[in-house]
Amino acid sequence: MIFIFFRNLFRDLRRQPLRTSMTLSGVGWGTFAVVLLLAFGSAVGRQNMISFRGVGQGFVIAFPASTTLPYQGLPKGRLVRLTPEQVTLTGRKVPGIKRMAFEFTASRPIRYGREDVLNTVRGVPVEYGDIRNIIAGKGRYLNDTDMALKRRVCVLGNTVTENLFHKEEAVGRAILIEGIPYTVVGVMKKKIQTSNFSGQPDEHCAFIPWTTYSAIFGDKYIGSLIFQPGNPAASKRITRLVREDLGNRAGFSPDDKDALFVWDWTEVERSFSIFFLAFNIFLGVIGAFTLLVGGVGVASIMLVVVEERTKEIGIKLAVGAKRRHILWQFFAESLTIVLFGGGLGFLCAALVLRAIPVEKIKDYVGIPEINPAVGIVTILILLTIGIVSGLMPARKAASTNPIEALRK
Amino acid sequence: MIEMENINKVYKMGEVSLDALKEVSLSIEPGEFISIMGPSGSGKSTLLNIIGCLDTPTSGSYFLEEKNVAGLSLDQLSAVRNRKIGFVFQNFNLLPYATTYENVELPMLFNGKSGKKRRQRVIELLEMVGLVNRQLHRPSELSGGEQQRVAIARALANDPAMILADEPTGNLDSKTGVEIMGLFVRLQQQGRTILMVTHDTNIAAYSQRTINLLDGRII
Repeated sequence: MIFIFFRNLFRDLRRQPLRTSMTLSGVGWGTFAVVLLLAFGSAVGRQNMISFRGVGQGFVIAFPASTTLPYQGLPKGRLVRLTPEQVTLTGRKVPGIKRMAFEFTASRPIRYGREDVLNTVRGVPVEYGDIRNIIAGKGRYLNDTDMALKRRVCVLGNTVTENLFHKEEAVGRAILIEGIPYTVVGVMKKKIQTSNFSGQPDEHCAFIPWTTYSAIFGDKYIGSLIFQPGNPAASKRITRLVREDLGNRAGFSPDDKDALFVWDWTEVERSFSIFFLAFNIFLGVIGAFTLLVGGVGVASIMLVVVEERTKEIGIKLAVGAKRRHILWQFFAESLTIVLFGGGLGFLCAALVLRAIPVEKIKDYVGIPEINPAVGIVTILILLTIGIVSGLMPARKAASTNPIEALRK
Repeated sequence: MIEMENINKVYKMGEVSLDALKEVSLSIEPGEFISIMGPSGSGKSTLLNIIGCLDTPTSGSYFLEEKNVAGLSLDQLSAVRNRKIGFVFQNFNLLPYATTYENVELPMLFNGKSGKKRRQRVIELLEMVGLVNRQLHRPSELSGGEQQRVAIARALANDPAMILADEPTGNLDSKTGVEIMGLFVRLQQQGRTILMVTHDTNIAAYSQRTINLLDGRII
């Protein structure tokens, strides 16, 4: 019985090869477009998120500037100066802060052998690396002992390492910063960083313990402070608390927005995620509409098929076919076209994704792939379209009046 | 076999209504061979459609083998057609893309008969109508008489008690028509009830009783 069902199904499809292949290719093309759009969309979103997080993850950065409001008898226009101790205390006092860090920054000559560069040197605490996603690819990152002993050690960005050392192994060697030797203890793992602040991107920087920086260069006041709220959604509230606490310590009004220039990266990250979500929904909708056009094609062709086969339906009804027999016959035909065309489109998309030279585009659009989400969304869209486009003609077929059908 | 009482059939076309059948009462015994005659528009086909459960009467009662079929749903009527009634049409109404074998098998696909039983029955019927060697031919490869024999074999697929034929010889030459009528006579001798609509008095002569219709009434 099932064999006969499928034999008739495929015979019906084969009877109109051109029509079948046109409808198949309509659905196939739609699926192809949906899969590629979704695969690229999600890859671009993912990759941008990775690049975006190159600068760090869910943090707030604040630059001390000068006051614009008088505070406790002090006039406006004073420079705000923050010490590492003040910042550290604030980090401990304000609830909800996961990590608090700060940095001293300046461009300084760095030298190894005959190579000489003028790059950004950052004096930082241990927590800084975690906030800014500075991960040692070789060797290690700075640790508490480095801080406590004011060691002359450094972690180098991967690009500055290449510029200074070329193919040579850097870890364990000594470089000169402002003519003073530092041991390279680690080289930063390559990361994609599309945003930055004060100084060069991390791949060009040298990171040294802030205690060493302060002792050698004599800096007392930090260039910027940076903290990670435990819950990114609470960043606004925590930022206000940090402002109040630092204001008390350093003498500026918490309402003086310009005294501390704050850049809330969590907010940017949020709008960035929303943008990419919207972007993917947009692509999905475009894809779904492309597929919908294919589905409309199937539905209208099937309506014509039902019209053409009215007599056949009449004969079947006369010899005792029930409505569900007729319904299934046409429904199965539409569904077969949609699923088969969808399968073909899926396959083509998978082949194209395979043929793409991923290495060349990886840094910009990521690795487009058919992940489970893409697969499930496509299959759901296909099934919906198959059912909708199949049901209407099938219901029309099943409601045929046998007497009128036989008269044709 | 059939008890019809006061059957009316009204077709509504917009504002105008047309009485296709008026107060038709009819009784048919099992094994009868009956012709229905009458001019065009007299209601022959409407009557045949109602008897054949393709259509339902507007009012009146219709008992088929002691079962009231006037109030059945469309799918229930399909089941009645499938098991109790075999149709033979003037223009054969075979599926054009299907083989002789598949055309005869068709009614059995709708009542869940097993593959083995279907095969046996198709061969048995094709032997009876003398078309075993034509089982893989399509209707377009058969003569009119052969097509009508396929249609008769199909009508007999589920071994119905009643055969309804609408001008079964209308598209055939007279010699072939006689052959087909020979088949109907044989079927009647086997105990089947046969109802046949015809214009042709020569064809009607094969039956035992003739019902004449005029303007929707039996006269």
